[in-house]
Amino acid sequence: MFAEYIAYLFDLFTKNMVSIPLIQPIVDYLLQIPLINLIVALILWRPFFAVVIAPGLGVLILYLLYIVWFERKLTARVQWRVGPLEVARPIRGAIQALADGLRYFFQEAIVHNEAHRPYFIQLPILAFIPVLLPILFIPAGNVVGIKSPFAIQLIVSFIALIPVTVVAIGWASNSRFAYIGSVREAFMYFAYEVPFIIAVMSMIFLYGSGDPFIAVEKQTIPGAFLNPVAFIVFIIAMLMATSRLPFDIPEADQEIAFGPFVEYSGILFGLAMTLAYEKLYLMALLFTLLFLGGWSGPEFYLLGDLMPVIWLLLKTIVVISIIALVRSIYARYRLDQALRIGWTSILALSLVALVIGVIGAWLA
Amino acid sequence: MDEYILDVPVEPPKELRSLFIPVPPDYVEEAYRSDEFLILVGPQHPGSGHMRLIVKVKGDIIQEVIPDPGYVHRSMEKLAENRLYIQNIPLFERPAIMDAANFNLGYVRAIEEALDIEVPERAKYIRTILAELCRIGTHLYDAAILAVFIGHTTGFMWPFGIRELICEALVRITGARFTSSFIIPGGVRRDVDESTLRFVYDSTFAIERRLESFEKIFIKNPTVVARLQGVGVLTKDEAIKHGVVGPFLRASGVEYDVRKVEPYEMYDELTWDIPVSDDGDGYSRFLVRVNEISQSLSIIRQCIMRMEEGRVISDQICENGKEIRGNFFDALGNIVLPAGEYTTLTEAARGLLLYTVISDGESNVPYRVRIVTPGWLYLKGFMESLRGERLADLQAIYGSFGYFPPEADR
Repeated sequence: MFAEYIAYLFDLFTKNMVSIPLIQPIVDYLLQIPLINLIVALILWRPFFAVVIAPGLGVLILYLLYIVWFERKLTARVQWRVGPLEVARPIRGAIQALADGLRYFFQEAIVHNEAHRPYFIQLPILAFIPVLLPILFIPAGNVVGIKSPFAIQLIVSFIALIPVTVVAIGWASNSRFAYIGSVREAFMYFAYEVPFIIAVMSMIFLYGSGDPFIAVEKQTIPGAFLNPVAFIVFIIAMLMATSRLPFDIPEADQEIAFGPFVEYSGILFGLAMTLAYEKLYLMALLFTLLFLGGWSGPEFYLLGDLMPVIWLLLKTIVVISIIALVRSIYARYRLDQALRIGWTSILALSLVALVIGVIGAWLA
Repeated sequence: MDEYILDVPVEPPKELRSLFIPVPPDYVEEAYRSDEFLILVGPQHPGSGHMRLIVKVKGDIIQEVIPDPGYVHRSMEKLAENRLYIQNIPLFERPAIMDAANFNLGYVRAIEEALDIEVPERAKYIRTILAELCRIGTHLYDAAILAVFIGHTTGFMWPFGIRELICEALVRITGARFTSSFIIPGGVRRDVDESTLRFVYDSTFAIERRLESFEKIFIKNPTVVARLQGVGVLTKDEAIKHGVVGPFLRASGVEYDVRKVEPYEMYDELTWDIPVSDDGDGYSRFLVRVNEISQSLSIIRQCIMRMEEGRVISDQICENGKEIRGNFFDALGNIVLPAGEYTTLTEAARGLLLYTVISDGESNVPYRVRIVTPGWLYLKGFMESLRGERLADLQAIYGSFGYFPPEADR
């Protein structure tokens, strides 16, 4: 009975495996060893590979280590400084984020008396769920968790859940600054979410489907050139959504001292702080799928199924690295100014993008 | 905008009467009863400095701000009464260390006025150079603080990088980055050689070039303009009524500069303009100081070009006209000012600085020293300009005034 069950699973995994000709001899050898073959088959099982390794959780963690270091280093270079250096000098402080993470992990997580204790502790962990759910639907070539004709809509709707957890975090903190911060987060949420959804809708109209496979297939010219207005709206919405600097309003550290996260310490703060970066990763993946041709790029025989994954991640990282530069260029807008930008010019631009999308669909 | 009255009965807490709060309890109770509420910003808040601001807001709009200064009060006036006149020189540059030369200059000029000391011309030129270097340094420091208050980190780092050139120039002239106590009654401590002057002259051009790139990234940045323009407006009448001084008064359209009105040192022989703006908002307060930097650079260049060889210490003080080392205490340790009251006005970087030295005519320590710093003078105008602005503007206006608590608290 148990052996049958194992055999069934092994069969299931091997039928749908990531094929990488480069390591195929090693995989073939490992598949002959009992028990280890099950583990290898599971890791190379396409849905598992997509969700847990790339472009899912494993790459997400590597990306977090990279972006925190890169952003600090880039900002430092712009500002005539050196940036992180002392942790691992030979590689220019590249594991600084890992050192910070370790420190957060071993620091005492203080829960103050006024906090709503159960919510205060569980919300940063709970906030991970809307971060992980979109990964199920983000495909990289053949490596995909769940194939769905409505994947883009699903990704957008799961990303829209993240600010709800942030507002809840501010509420559970029960502090003045956290309260102001979560109110600001809620205001900003409405200001960018509507133009953002309209921009995505215009692209769905243009491609005629919410399926990323069709979207990538139709991008013989990248989507950025097909609908440049939606491209601009998406970038600005991305800056607003991830609290990047011209719109760093919910977390303004000089005004409200990190807003919703003001009361957190230790590993809970580490989790809450990385939320914006994770959101940036998801939005940049969606951005790459919609505007930069997704995983399409020159094929390389030896890497097989891994090549689309690499192209997708490469484009995403380039987008994020360019967005990191904005931090050292702009000052922070005031809340009412940001809301005015969101509800007037960006909303108008997104409507123009929608018209372009509809015309494009009609012409096609 | 329509006003919606929220009539929520809120009972003020009982602790209001038993615990210490920095405002009258009645004031807090009144705020509890109305739909306004109080926010205490500072003294540990990242955007307040060493000062507490009691902000009364209605929604997001500031109704009234009560300052609670004094967290860095060091009782300088009382300390000065127990020290020799020359020992007070290092003391009086402590209120604003980046503006040390201007603070020294005011005090030393009061002593010179009392003792009727004629200062040699070369010493006057060196004093002018020091004062203007410190003015540029202070303006850059304030620009950096303004930048970080509105979230522009590059605008914070670059002025500090530019300010290193000022510090290097001060090191080469005086031997210290700031707080050099270089200005003494009767001149300056020692002469400045040709190569140092050449360095200072060259560095003015280096500063000018770097300021151009700073202008691109910060001064003309659309987000910065959006945050500062039309915020915290003080009209000309208001600015005069509330006694605002210095660049902040000039930003409201009043052409008043002590260096022009009552010239001291070499200011009346040099050609320079007073930058004035009519808007009186946060952005013009910032721009006036930016323009003052270029005026100061021009003043420094003119001073270096016109300087001639000669004594730097008055012959009334010491034989050696080039250096006071070795006979500083002999010459100045026991000076006793004739009985009377001596007042000087100085234009420090942040505005008018007043020193009054009162002597009883028989002791070698001052009977009383009164120092009124620009920060203290424009605090009222600063609080008034906050009225009617949004809570998020508090930091922008704070930065646009360059308020420096140690200077105001003395």
